Amino acid sequence: MPASTWHFLRANDATIEIPEGLAIAPDVRVSKTPATCDDADALDRALARTQEQWEIVHPAPTADEIAERDAYRAAESDATYGGTAQSTYQANADAIEEARSLVAAFEHGTGEAVATFLREMAGKRIVVQAAPRETVATTVVVTGAPDVISAAAIDVVALRNSSVDVALVIDGVNRNVQGDAAPNGGTVGLTGTTLRVCADEDARVRIVRMHTLDDGFADIDDMGLFAHERARIEVSQTILGATTTFTGLAGDLRGDSARADVETRYLGHGDQSHDLNYMLRHHGTRSQCNLNANGVLAGRSSKTLRGTIDLIRGCKGSEGSERETVLLVDEDVRNKTVPVILCSEDDVAGNHGATIGHIREDQLFYLESRGISRQDAEAMFVSATLEQAAIDAPVEEARTAVLRLGEKLVPGFGELFD
Amino acid sequence: MAHTLLSCRNVSASVDEKPILHDVDLDVAAGEVHVLMGPNGAGKSTLGHVLMGDPTYELTSGTVLFDGDDITGLSPDKRSRTGLFLSFQAPVEIPGVPLRSFLRTMVDAHDIAMKNKEFKRRTKELAEALDMDTVYLDRELGVGFSGGEKKKVEMLQLLLLQPKLAILDETDSGLDVDALSIVSRGMELYRKECDGTLLIITHNTRILEQLHVDRTHVMVDGHMVAEGPASLIDEIDAQGFERYESLVADAR
Repeated sequence: MPASTWHFLRANDATIEIPEGLAIAPDVRVSKTPATCDDADALDRALARTQEQWEIVHPAPTADEIAERDAYRAAESDATYGGTAQSTYQANADAIEEARSLVAAFEHGTGEAVATFLREMAGKRIVVQAAPRETVATTVVVTGAPDVISAAAIDVVALRNSSVDVALVIDGVNRNVQGDAAPNGGTVGLTGTTLRVCADEDARVRIVRMHTLDDGFADIDDMGLFAHERARIEVSQTILGATTTFTGLAGDLRGDSARADVETRYLGHGDQSHDLNYMLRHHGTRSQCNLNANGVLAGRSSKTLRGTIDLIRGCKGSEGSERETVLLVDEDVRNKTVPVILCSEDDVAGNHGATIGHIREDQLFYLESRGISRQDAEAMFVSATLEQAAIDAPVEEARTAVLRLGEKLVPGFGELFD
Repeated sequence: MAHTLLSCRNVSASVDEKPILHDVDLDVAAGEVHVLMGPNGAGKSTLGHVLMGDPTYELTSGTVLFDGDDITGLSPDKRSRTGLFLSFQAPVEIPGVPLRSFLRTMVDAHDIAMKNKEFKRRTKELAEALDMDTVYLDRELGVGFSGGEKKKVEMLQLLLLQPKLAILDETDSGLDVDALSIVSRGMELYRKECDGTLLIITHNTRILEQLHVDRTHVMVDGHMVAEGPASLIDEIDAQGFERYESLVADAR
C-alpha cells in the first residue's frame, strides 16, 4: 500500500486517551483459583527454557553462513530493487529473521508501553499454569466503574501437552447512562487486560474474552502469544459495548506446525469506536494462522481492523489467512479493513478476503418474504449479535453480562433467555 | 364453492429486459392444492418469485389479486403480512443471525401474539414434528445446514406463520427419501392445522402421493399452456412435456 494511503487511513497507530483523575482500583475476580499460582515469573522462565531448546535446533549461524546469507540477500536485493538501498520493510524483515532472543522478540498487540501501563495498573499478576498433560480452566472477571481504572495482568503458561482454558469477562455499569447515549461523549472509566501466553510443545490454549461495558467506558485488550512446536492457541474475542475499545494481539508462531486461530466478533452501535490490531509472525515451518472477524456496525459507530500476517524467511510450508465480514447497518458508520500480508519466504501461502457491505439483495428479499422489513432486518442484526454472544458465552458470568447489556440496548432482550 | 384466493391476470415479467413470463393467468381457490409443472426453464420458479414481489424481476404487465386485494404494487414484506408465503428452492444463509432470532423477528413482524414462552414451546414442538434437532435453533440461519435441514427450516417457518397461501418452490429438489417424507409431513400438518392453500412447484410427483391435488397447471417457456385435474400429473408422468412444448412452438 502506498505510504500516503497508509497514512490517510491512519493505519499506523491509534491514540489512547486516558482521562485524568481516574483512580487505580482494579476490581478483578478469579474463579477456580486452584488453576492459578503465585509464581509470577513462570512465563518468563518457560520462555527461557524454550529459548534453550530452540537454540539447540537453531544454532547461531557460523561466520561462513552469515557471509553466505549476506551474499544471497545482496544478490536478491540487486535482482529485486536494482541495487538500491534496502526498504524499511526489508531491513525490518532481516532484523526479525536474525533475532536470536525469544524473550526480546515477544510482542504485545498494543505495544510495550500500553502493556506496561496496564501491568502497573493491575498490580499483582494472575498466573495460570498447567503442568505437562494437565487440563485447567479459569475465569477472570474484570469489573469497571465510573472514575476508576480497573485492569488485570494475566500470564498463561501451558506446559507440554497441557490444555488451558481462560475466560475473560469485562463488564461495567455506567449508572449515568440509559440505552446508548453517552454523557458528553467522554470516557468515565477504563478497563483493560494484558495477557501473555506461552504454549509449550503440543499444548492447547483457548482464550475467550467477552466485554459488555456500558457506553462511557474505554477498554483495552492487549495480548501477546507465543506458540512452540505443534502448540495450538485459539482466541475468541467478542466486543459488544464501551464507547472506545482498543484490541491488540501479537503472536509469535515460533514452533514448527504451531497454530493460532483468532475469531473476533464485534458490534458497533451509537457513537462507539473500535480499533483492532493483529500481528501474527510465522517463524516455524508449516505453521498456520487464521484471523476471522465478523462484525455489525450500526448507528454512527466506527471501526478499524488491521490484520497483519508476517511470513518470515524460513517458515516453509506455512499458511496464514485472514477474513473479515462486516455488515454496515446504517449509512453513518465508518469501517476500515486493512489486511496486510508480509512475506520474505517463497514456500508459503497468505490469503486475505473481506466482505463489506449492506445486507445482500437476495438476503433482504428472503427476509422480506417473511414479513421482515429492511428496518426490522437491521434491528435484528444488532439483536442477533447480542443473542449469539449470549448463546456462545463460555461461562455463566459472561452470559449474565451479555443479558445485562442486551436488556439495555434491546428492551425485552432478557425475556428471550428466560 | 371456495373463494378465489389468488388470481393472476396477464402477468408478464422480465429480468434484465429479457422477457421470462408471458401473459400468465392463474387462479387458486382457498383451501385447494394446486401443482405447477413444467420442464426446466419454463418459468415456474420465476412465477413464484414474481408473486412474492422479488425485485430481481420486473413486472411488465398484469395484476395479482390476493384475498380480494390488489397486491401488485406491494413490497415482499407487505405481501408476506397479507398471508402469502414462498418456500425457497435454495434458502439463503444469513451469518450472524441465530435461527431462533430470525424466527422471533418473523413472528413479531406478523404481529402474531405469542409470548416468549409460547414461542419457545411452539418452535420446539414444530422442530420435533419435523425431526429437526433443536440445536439448530441456536445456529446461524442456514450456515452449515445440509440441503435437507434448510428445507426443514422452510417447513418450520410455514407452520409457525400458517399463511393463507404457501408457494413451495421445488421444496423437494435434491432431497433424499427421508427428507422428502419430512417435507411431506410438513405440508400435511399445514393443511391439517389451518386448512392452508398450496401452490406446489415440482418435478417430483412422489411428494404429491400423500396429498389430494385439486388442480394441475403446466407452464412451458414462460407461457401457461394447460390446466386440468389431478389426473394431468399422471399423464405428464407417462408422456412428459413434449406435447405442450410443441403447442408453444406451433403457436410461434
